[in-house]
Amino acid sequence: MSREEEIKKGLFDHTLVGEASEVVELTQEGIDLGMDPLDILFGALIPSLQEVGRLFEIGEYFVPEMLVAARAMQGAMALLRPLLVDKGAEPIGKVVMLTVKGDVHDIGKNLCNIMLEGEGFDIVDLGVNVKPEEVVAAVQEHQPQLLGFSAFLTTTMPFFKSNLAALSEAGLRDSVKVMVGGAPVTPEYADSVGADGFAPDASAAVRLAKQLMVDMGYDVSMGGDDSEGASALSTAVQAVEELMVKSGKHEE
Amino acid sequence: MEQMTSKQRFLAGLYGDPVDRPPAASIVSVITYELMDITGAHFPHANIEPEPMATLAAGAHEVMGFDSVMPIFSIAQEATALGCQVDWSDTDMMPNPTDSPWADRDVEIKLPDGFPDSFLEDKYVKCAIDAIRLLKQHFGDDVMVLGKVMGPWTLSYHCYNTQEFLFDTIMDPDRVRKSLETLAPVPLAYAAAQVEAGADAIVWADHATGDLVRNTMYRDFLLPHHQELVPQVEAPVILHCCGKTLDRVHYFNEAGFTCYHFESANPPDEMVEKAAGKMKLTGNVNNPITLYARGPDEARAEAQAAIDAGVDIIAPECAVPLQAPVANLQAIVETCKDNRHQ
Repeated sequence: MSREEEIKKGLFDHTLVGEASEVVELTQEGIDLGMDPLDILFGALIPSLQEVGRLFEIGEYFVPEMLVAARAMQGAMALLRPLLVDKGAEPIGKVVMLTVKGDVHDIGKNLCNIMLEGEGFDIVDLGVNVKPEEVVAAVQEHQPQLLGFSAFLTTTMPFFKSNLAALSEAGLRDSVKVMVGGAPVTPEYADSVGADGFAPDASAAVRLAKQLMVDMGYDVSMGGDDSEGASALSTAVQAVEELMVKSGKHEE
Repeated sequence: MEQMTSKQRFLAGLYGDPVDRPPAASIVSVITYELMDITGAHFPHANIEPEPMATLAAGAHEVMGFDSVMPIFSIAQEATALGCQVDWSDTDMMPNPTDSPWADRDVEIKLPDGFPDSFLEDKYVKCAIDAIRLLKQHFGDDVMVLGKVMGPWTLSYHCYNTQEFLFDTIMDPDRVRKSLETLAPVPLAYAAAQVEAGADAIVWADHATGDLVRNTMYRDFLLPHHQELVPQVEAPVILHCCGKTLDRVHYFNEAGFTCYHFESANPPDEMVEKAAGKMKLTGNVNNPITLYARGPDEARAEAQAAIDAGVDIIAPECAVPLQAPVANLQAIVETCKDNRHQ
């Protein structure tokens, strides 16, 4: 077995059990040896994450196992990202993302950020427990095309409506499209509060964001999809997302 | 059968004795904006001052008709007394811990100086204890007064940070054990003070749920603590654990709880089978869909399904969304009244 093959096997095995330092070391060694970043991704890391996902699906893995695997993957991605994104294009749009007032859950939102960024969006993350007046101020400051509201609790999802009302009062509602999501949120609820779209997970959030951009007359074909590197990055973050969204959905 | 008082009915349900009709209970929060308006006790005062807290809690019986009242609506009392940052100021949301002191690995895991006295004298902890005392004075032995504590697993989510705590169950289990051992005395001290103030039973929230961790993590990390701690509470103890839990109820059965408050993610007939008579059961009317977004008819149907399955005390599954209509909660009580035993 060549050293490159040993590295790929090691990356698969260590990612599977979340041994982050080993994953980072092997990724760096592979880069230093001149291995193709795409081979590191598709030959080792993504298959390992797919195996983690399979183990979750059959009830062998739970959230802690997914967290440690995804965190190990993130360490590798930090090294690979510059090598892949360099081939990318200009941002295709700007998205302001937030978890609503009273809610401090952010795993799902953070996954959306990763996915949207991977697809070529510029992300402004306002964090958690964001008040309606802060939403208005952020739209005024950043002038995004899209807004994303996340809520994990049934006690906090009504703040979607509060945020939308604040935007209307500020005369900003028509300037931005609003996406909502979170474990307890349903399409019916999104409609009832007047959101422009609902996404049940991060992959769907990307599709929705692109569709909303098209609806507004933007050309989203110029984004990262056209470059091999960015496409690979997108696939990689999707693999992370598939794991992390599952864990995010089941957070406390 | 002669009509029982609410407390008699609840206790009978809790111990499996005959009841005049199924008890309907407020186990964790049933507080809504509408109830705040009806009682005149609003957030944030009802979370930080004993009188409005007791007034609002009393509405669960006096307005909604539940057989129990429970004044500790949020999960934040212990957290703030243990050093977490909590925003209590809002009028329209539950308080929520926003900062976890032990997330910084350089911070030593330990209880605040002067525990337990300093803990029990904390403004927010004392508020809840005083509210229980007021409720007991108000209702005497007519209505079941419940207290509520967070167990060491849920307190770890607050003090340690949920994601970091779950991460460390694999990567640093010794630190997780240290957190649990350190926090174990907290619910005991808080429960003792609540019982002394008049609580007839204690709700013990500990979210080692199947939505987050495997059942063996409950068995290996938390069950030994429960087995040691729960018998020391001088009142019946009702476990609350959200989410899917059918795969660990056989461990809950060994922990010493009198009753288990379960969610709608678990079919009531399957839960009754798993509990196997070793714990009584309370629950499990769905919150986000049924009580929040649907109407009284749907709430009635779910309450009836729980009754038919053999659930001992009928209740919403968890903290009810503040926007839920009072009529939906009243429908649970009405359904229990419709099932009066002859």
